[in-house]
Amino acid sequence: MTTPGITQVLLAGIMVVIAIAVARYWRLPVIKDMAFGSVRGFVQLVAVGYAVRFIFDIESPWLIMLALGIMMTVGAHAAAGRVKNVKGSFGISLAAILTGSLITLATMLVFKIISFDARYIIPLAGMIIGNSMNASALVIDRLASDLRGNRLAIETALALGKSWREASQQFHRDAARTGMVAMLNFLKTVGIVALPGAMTGMILAGADPVEAVLLQVIVVYMLLSATTITSVVAVELTIRRFFTRYHQLRTNL
Amino acid sequence: MGVTGSVLELCNLTRRVGDGTPARAIIDNFSYSFGSARLYSIIGPSGAGKSSLLRLLNRLDECTDGSVKFKGRDTREFAPCELRQRVGYLFQTPHLFDRTVRDNIVYAQPHLSESKISCLIQQVQLPSGIVDAPVDNLSVGERQRVALARLLATQPEVALLDEPTAALDPANTEAIERLISSVVTDHGVTVVMVSHSRQQVVRLGGEAILMVDGKLIEHGDAVQLVKNPGTPQGRRYMNGEPQ
Repeated sequence: MTTPGITQVLLAGIMVVIAIAVARYWRLPVIKDMAFGSVRGFVQLVAVGYAVRFIFDIESPWLIMLALGIMMTVGAHAAAGRVKNVKGSFGISLAAILTGSLITLATMLVFKIISFDARYIIPLAGMIIGNSMNASALVIDRLASDLRGNRLAIETALALGKSWREASQQFHRDAARTGMVAMLNFLKTVGIVALPGAMTGMILAGADPVEAVLLQVIVVYMLLSATTITSVVAVELTIRRFFTRYHQLRTNL
Repeated sequence: MGVTGSVLELCNLTRRVGDGTPARAIIDNFSYSFGSARLYSIIGPSGAGKSSLLRLLNRLDECTDGSVKFKGRDTREFAPCELRQRVGYLFQTPHLFDRTVRDNIVYAQPHLSESKISCLIQQVQLPSGIVDAPVDNLSVGERQRVALARLLATQPEVALLDEPTAALDPANTEAIERLISSVVTDHGVTVVMVSHSRQQVVRLGGEAILMVDGKLIEHGDAVQLVKNPGTPQGRRYMNGEPQ
């Protein structure tokens, strides 16, 4: 494969043109989004490329921390934007993503699976935060929707003397599972149907496939840990917004 | 049916809701005492605050002002879970958990003996063979009886019933009314029931409380209050006129 340059990127734009032509033929109402999204994606990725190169060159731990902080804040903001009508969803997402990401990254650093090097930390944190962001948004949305839709079931349990945790336990489990389900499905098909991104990227860049696979296994375990922790923290923080300390389901949900 | 002291005492009970200034009072300075082992029917037009009042009695909702005393102690001094087992609540459309009749009856009392389960099934006049049936297969009347058996399993001292016969046909309504009377007379439970039917209030007897706009308008012997209300609002309600 030719090392990608601006010419190859422009030529790859042909595929966007084909996609837009297909959408136009079928009158799909997504043409604007496709065109705008393709340009925006290009600009964002190029900007990130230069930013990451800058961080790699400086090699300052503070700069790495700052980059992680920005990534988590943006991730939490995006997750909160996908959740409807849950007060404090930004704070919940930020806390959940922060906990999931930091515990996972710290584990990898403590056990020397990776070194504190921007070249490892930044891309791996990007994967962790991206997956945690999706998990957080799915968990908060599912839990809020289940609690709103099952008011009678929950209040029946509360009226029979159950605690808020007992009355809603089915819904926390379902919501936590929702946050993890994409990862669990991925684990079932990884290597058989789907060749994951990190591994594919390494192979395309000329690395030995076995080395690429080993890195991919680390990435998969890392994402499993991060999405699980993020999901559980998101459930724990969201559920408390819906109940009072007197085991009452809030009326202004 | 002996009357012994007050089991629930409401003192200037108020609940305001909404963001308005001032917030709207759905229960407005309500004071009343419910005696032990008696039947009370709360009546009034739609939106009078009958169900809202019931929800304050076992702290499913929080009052804004005033207090509720259960057996002389402020309900805020009880752990909510303990209070709700002693002051049970039956919703208008009861929710049964998606399992068997037995699972529902033992839901709040997991260590209930087989003989107690049989006794409850008999008490609510369900056939004994129904105990292991999935609740999906039950009629509306049977579902209401299972919900009542589940409530009685916690051995409540007070049962709050929110229109327990609203969705039932006349035969099932009559059966549930007999059951409610027996809960009061045979088991000494205080029943506070919301009803929309004046005929039902007369059939069941006991005391009646008329509410309009969150306020207590009048109270007294159920038959007397329905047949001969003592206030203009009471007369308008009994004649089916708007308030």
